[in-house]
Amino acid sequence: MTDQLALFQQELQKAKQQRSPQGILDLIPYSSFIGAQAKPERDEVLYWLDRRASNIGNPSLPAIHGGVIGGFLELSAAVEILYTLDVKLMPKVVDFSLDYLRPGRYKTIYANCTVLRQGKKLVNVTATAWQDNPETPIATARCHFLIS
Amino acid sequence: MNLKLAIFKPLLKLAMERTGHGAALGFELTRVGRGEVEMTFPYKPEVVGNPVTGVVHGGVIVSLLDTACGSAAITTLTKPAITPTMDLRLDYMHPAEPYQPIYVSAKVYRDTSNVLFCRGSAWQDDPENPIAHCVATFMKVETESVSLGNIIRRRFKRLVYGDKAYEQEADR
Repeated sequence: MTDQLALFQQELQKAKQQRSPQGILDLIPYSSFIGAQAKPERDEVLYWLDRRASNIGNPSLPAIHGGVIGGFLELSAAVEILYTLDVKLMPKVVDFSLDYLRPGRYKTIYANCTVLRQGKKLVNVTATAWQDNPETPIATARCHFLIS
Repeated sequence: MNLKLAIFKPLLKLAMERTGHGAALGFELTRVGRGEVEMTFPYKPEVVGNPVTGVVHGGVIVSLLDTACGSAAITTLTKPAITPTMDLRLDYMHPAEPYQPIYVSAKVYRDTSNVLFCRGSAWQDDPENPIAHCVATFMKVETESVSLGNIIRRRFKRLVYGDKAYEQEADR
């Protein structure tokens, strides 16, 4: 356990020094399960999820599974904290609230996150997902994380 | 139990467990009733969110609860319709134990003409001590695209074209 923790922190430090949010995603098995990717873009991080059949929820549209959109945004929010804040442990999610605005069509989903407030223990992050145009989001999420 | 639900139950189970993300996650719908659904999810190392502790990612809980609530919502319908999620709110009470299955239950507690109100819970050894609970709301949108004929047609297409069928539908 302590070995794994030391390894995680070492890899996390390395990814941050290399300015590679993708390096942080690579530490989390769930990211490759859904296929989440990330890159720094200007002063933000762009997260994206290319389409794949194993992320489909409603085959009749076809549309991306609502749970995948939620999972992707929660993952992005956690990576945003690890990447932008000085934390050494995986943030613990306390609550997560998601509004679905449009169906997630069977194509790439993009997202970005904003840390709205950082306290000593608690962080509030919002995440927005879109497909064609950032002006027409498909979902917005708001989450609280405990950090240490 | 009425005949419609008797035919519908195995179809819903099949649709949820064998297609897309449901198949990738590998959960099982253990009970389907009118407005009520129960599921079991076995532990999977592929969906770990914390590499240090081996705890599954919160996104898995989101998918499980969304599927359970969504399935419960569908069972209340009396006409061909879809039930897109409007919003979903989750509270994580404590982290899941790694290597243990997760149980999920969902219930529609209010059925109105346009909106379905649903709550769900995920636990491991004690339903009274859940990992997470959620509330979700769903719209009722009537559409013929989910009629039996259309479902069979699309199933057939997928048998012939495999995953390419999704791309054809999406690009159409």
